[in-house]
Amino acid sequence: MSRQSGRFRFPLWIVLGAVLVAALVIGSGVLNSTPMTPAQRAAGIETRIKCPSCEDLSVANSSAQTAVVVRSTVRQLISEGRSDQQIEAYLVSRYGSAIVLVPPTSGWSLLVWLLPLGGGALAIALLTVVLIRKRRNGIVGPADAARAEAEFDVGASSGQLDARRQFLEQSLADAFAEHRAGDLSDQDYQALRRRDTARLAALDIRMVEADDLAGAGSVATVATVATVATVATVATVATVARAESDGGAEPVESAVAPPGSVPGPSRSRRQRFLMTGAVVSFGAALVVVVALFAANRLPGQTPSGNPTLSQQAQIQQSLNQAATLENEGQPGAAAQLYQQVLGQDPQNEVAIAQLGWLEYQTGSQGKSASLIADARAKLDQAVKLNPTDYAARLYLGTVLLDQDHDASAAVAQYQAFLAANPPASLLQQAASLLRQAYTQAGMPVPPAVPTA
Amino acid sequence: MNAAFGDTGVLLGFAAAVVGVIVLAVGLVKGRESTIRAGQIYAPVVLLGGVIAAVAMEHALITHDFSLAFVADNNSRETPLMYSVCGLWSALSGSILLWGLILAGYATAMVWRFRRRAAEPLVAWATMVVYVVAAFFFGLMLHVTNPFQHVAGKIPVDGAGPNSLLQDNPLQAIHPPLLYLGFVGFTLPFAFAIGSLVTGRLDSSWQRETRRWTLFAWTFLTAGIVLGALWSYQVLGWGGFWAWDPVENASFLPWLVGTAYLHSVMVQERRGLLRIWNLALVISAFSLTILGTFLTRSGVIQSVHAFSNSTIGPLLLGFFGLTLVTGLGLIAWRGDNLRSAGGIDSPVSREGAFLANNLLFVAFAFVVLLGTVFPLLYEALNGGRQITVGAPYFNRLVIPIALGLLFLMAVAPALPWRKTSVEVMRGRLAVPAVLAVLVVVACVVGGIRGIEPLAAFGLGAFAAASAGRALALSVRLSWRGARLSGASSSRSVLAGWRGFVGRANGGMVVHIGVVIIAVGLAAATAFGHRTEVALSPGQTASFSGHSIQFVGTRSVRTPSRSAFEAVLRVDGRGDYLPAITQFGAGSQDVGTPAIDASWRDDVYLTIDATATSGSRLTFGVVVQPLVMWLWVGGALLVFGSVLSAVPGRRRRPTDPVSAVADSSVHEPGSTPAPSVAVEVGVGVGVGAGVGGAGDAGQEPSPDPEPVQVGN
Amino acid sequence: MGGHRARWIGIAVLVVAAGLIAVLAGRPSASVAEVQSPLLGHPAPAIAGTTLDGAGYSVPTAPGHFVVLNFFASWCAPCQQEGPDLVTFQFEHQLPGDASMVSVVFGDTLSAAQTYQKTLGATWPTLTDGNGKLALAYGVTARPTTFVIAPDGRVAAYIVGAVTAKDLDKVIAAAKATHA
Repeated sequence: MSRQSGRFRFPLWIVLGAVLVAALVIGSGVLNSTPMTPAQRAAGIETRIKCPSCEDLSVANSSAQTAVVVRSTVRQLISEGRSDQQIEAYLVSRYGSAIVLVPPTSGWSLLVWLLPLGGGALAIALLTVVLIRKRRNGIVGPADAARAEAEFDVGASSGQLDARRQFLEQSLADAFAEHRAGDLSDQDYQALRRRDTARLAALDIRMVEADDLAGAGSVATVATVATVATVATVATVATVARAESDGGAEPVESAVAPPGSVPGPSRSRRQRFLMTGAVVSFGAALVVVVALFAANRLPGQTPSGNPTLSQQAQIQQSLNQAATLENEGQPGAAAQLYQQVLGQDPQNEVAIAQLGWLEYQTGSQGKSASLIADARAKLDQAVKLNPTDYAARLYLGTVLLDQDHDASAAVAQYQAFLAANPPASLLQQAASLLRQAYTQAGMPVPPAVPTA
Repeated sequence: MNAAFGDTGVLLGFAAAVVGVIVLAVGLVKGRESTIRAGQIYAPVVLLGGVIAAVAMEHALITHDFSLAFVADNNSRETPLMYSVCGLWSALSGSILLWGLILAGYATAMVWRFRRRAAEPLVAWATMVVYVVAAFFFGLMLHVTNPFQHVAGKIPVDGAGPNSLLQDNPLQAIHPPLLYLGFVGFTLPFAFAIGSLVTGRLDSSWQRETRRWTLFAWTFLTAGIVLGALWSYQVLGWGGFWAWDPVENASFLPWLVGTAYLHSVMVQERRGLLRIWNLALVISAFSLTILGTFLTRSGVIQSVHAFSNSTIGPLLLGFFGLTLVTGLGLIAWRGDNLRSAGGIDSPVSREGAFLANNLLFVAFAFVVLLGTVFPLLYEALNGGRQITVGAPYFNRLVIPIALGLLFLMAVAPALPWRKTSVEVMRGRLAVPAVLAVLVVVACVVGGIRGIEPLAAFGLGAFAAASAGRALALSVRLSWRGARLSGASSSRSVLAGWRGFVGRANGGMVVHIGVVIIAVGLAAATAFGHRTEVALSPGQTASFSGHSIQFVGTRSVRTPSRSAFEAVLRVDGRGDYLPAITQFGAGSQDVGTPAIDASWRDDVYLTIDATATSGSRLTFGVVVQPLVMWLWVGGALLVFGSVLSAVPGRRRRPTDPVSAVADSSVHEPGSTPAPSVAVEVGVGVGVGAGVGGAGDAGQEPSPDPEPVQVGN
Repeated sequence: MGGHRARWIGIAVLVVAAGLIAVLAGRPSASVAEVQSPLLGHPAPAIAGTTLDGAGYSVPTAPGHFVVLNFFASWCAPCQQEGPDLVTFQFEHQLPGDASMVSVVFGDTLSAAQTYQKTLGATWPTLTDGNGKLALAYGVTARPTTFVIAPDGRVAAYIVGAVTAKDLDKVIAAAKATHA
């Protein structure tokens, strides 16, 4: 079946191989590689750093507090322009060398890389040598086989010789059955049969000699043994040969190669060599590439992504960020964020109040009347939108006090402020202002206002 | 009371094992058959001792008897019944008790199975080795790690309760016993290996007879490892299932060597080759179970699994050294006799493939072992400096080996014995190869990028197609066989089930299971995404193709656990309840994940942080594709193993791969030459008709019967 | 496989296994193993932050006296065990003024930490380290962890686990001796 179609199928395998290589090259992503984004760099580093308070997990995988801190530090250092080695070195300088999940390739720890890789390389080299030798020698001819058998059996005990005989006989019978079933090609089968028959013959001679040495003595015994052995061998071979001719198997030696079979030996060997070489080098390349890139992520494979929040959540996030920026003394950036929020939600009361307050602060510093007026308008709007927002009340009251010097109006706002349950820290900060307003308005200071 | 029974049981087991060793030794030395036979009775006695001790401990756990230190440390009044029962194996001394019990069970089963051959020196030596191992483990329980030790000081009113992580999941109930059934099961082939080396009976009959035992142990070990990964996934909260943790590695090492052995033993049965390999693999598998126990229990390596440490370390290490020295020493002593009668004819043959298989598995095991113990080595060499060998190292070295194994899995079922040609292989593997390339192209076209998942998918498809081809051929052979023996056409179709059972066919199903696991692994690790998202109640976030809505929170309180749960809806489906749980009173909080599993991907949810003020929670979300395939593949693996143990079609072990079961069956190893003529007449017609039908399953049958095929 | 080759491989495996066993036998169990910090002998990272009361606090680079920096959490058992010892130590060194204490909350809620310190009677500053940067700067992986910083600002000692007042005194005496 295959003999006929051997040549036919040859292009199929070339096509398959080409398609596979092309697909893998495209699929490996080397063609459209974009430089790594900072997030990808961070992710790569994070898979190599151990979470400090865990046992085996990397900081990429762990949600422990220490892992979160390390992740944010890594991102910060990346944004500062440090290289991967510098970042790892920094973490090692804090936590010790055990914080890195990959053993370094220097010093004693080189062993853990060298032993498997070196051992593997050595094994592959040995296997290649053995394979090449076997391939080159093929199945040995009868004369060589007989000689090799004689060497093999030197010094063997009679039990071992018996085991060897059994093995060779079984091999012959197996080869016959395998050939009949189509597993073994004609060529191989003939070669194996010749070789193993020669081996058996040499073995029998050896067995006779061994018996001889063991003192079996008489010529008659030797002759009997030799005859029996030879007859048995001949019987085996003859039976097999007869079975072949009975079974209608192909003649032993076909002088004329059937049409369409594999062309002349040298050309087929070259072809086979090329194909084997191609397959082996492909396999080796695949292994090497996989090993090199096993730990890396490609551009396009983001290990962690950013969730898309609903607009509501996004706005909340922006407001929180703006508040943090304000606390860190970056009013400009905070104002920008508030503007952004208002762009999405023009009626957002918190943004209006905070922006109004920022504008007022800027305006009163720079003495810009327009800014102050705008701020007032915003604060008015905020109070109208949400009368119970303590912040808006506080801001409005302060503006009224400062700009209009209208203590009673301010007190009205401050009363609303107190009624809205403001947090203690804010109360503390506003205490002096409140006092001032109430005193100026001639009203008693409410007990809720803390003493300075 | 419980302690009294327990101590008695342990003592009984130990004494019986020791006496068994002595009796067998005397019988073997003096050559007295009656004495050897008498040595059999001690196995059931050891089992009785183990059962008494185990029952006593379970009783103590269920009735919360805190006079025992073990119960006081690992149980409490609030612990539910199931976790109380499972408390037996939740700590060191209880797990040694479980080990001893299982070992006694295996010993009794072995003695029963081989009762008719009890007087044979091989069986006697094997039994003696099992007794020695049993004496070791029961001996450990006598003093070093006594489960029935009284609590020091006053008897506490309530116990400490099991470790929170061990109460989270019912898988706790099955994972350790399954693992132990696997580990301990490797004692039997080891014992027989030692016996065969000592007695010089180096043929493969004992391997054939213990094949089912080894398969049994291997199946349970596989199930234990897969369930361990599932448990870790469902409990530990990081969204992964394999961390190259030292304890995980310790269970993986015997599995690797055991798998190599199960394959390599076929070569010895067929052609009498690789004998030394097989003995070495069996001895290594058992030694690695002891080394694994040492690494887990001695506290030498800290890990997620770490149990409390005690002085058990040096003893286990010593026992490991003893088994290794004994095994290797015996192999060295018998070296000449072990020499195979012949060699491998061609590397491109099934023998060659199995040899390559052995090499790859040994390389795999070497890398895992080296990575696990190297930090200790490094510390010893480097005076105090420490390094960590973690997942990146293992992944980098192991993935190429695993891909190589996938390749072998694809090629080997189509490889004939002895020698083959490129033409034969091309014909057989053409369809699987085309399928594999199509899969790779489809993946690339579909946008999948990354050399390692693509290689895994391609080779996986190759291996699965090759296994499928083997199964299809085997089913077709069963149909033909049924039809030829005269069954009706409908009956003969049903007879196709025989194409799925038996050693080789079950093996093909196992291979398909392995491919499914490999594909799931590659997809989950290469294309998993994780993030953290802060949500207030009512808010929704979308990530990686799923929407997650935070509905609200609630608190749950039962006597055994109190939990703060968040109610989440994924893609509109609900409710998923990641939680922060406390078990019992005053134990530490553990995070409990919630998982939305589907065939396409898993959405893994945890509560990562609570806000300092307000009701915002930070959730961890991990989306990983094809995680469910891991568990399905694992189930298929175990199922295939079971199929493998069912007797299939009766064939001679030395039949060629492609032959039909048409020959009269002989005792393997006898000279078949005279009867070749007989076979030919009968077989040729069928052979010509089926010729090249390919591989069918074949396995040795204990009771050979001729199969007449009408012609 | 030849018998001779098997013998040599077997011997090689035995030798390697013997080496492995020797190493494994020599290791102490992990819980009592000593850990080293890479900061020992190096200048201590800056200690600065907000205390539980909201005030700012920082330690100068060369403090001029010993500083004991203790990372803790209220729920960890060894921290609770060493708490009284820390109070004793601080009291003993308050008057001579040769050593001061600073605590840092590591993996705990601020309210719990505050309650804990108040119950303990700790009068020294306790930093909040909300973003965990101080813990990272000191490479803290577990609690309790204690650093002893010498007067010249270098890290003199690194102790993981519950510490006693006597331990601290010993460390300080040793550091004084080497620099005297």
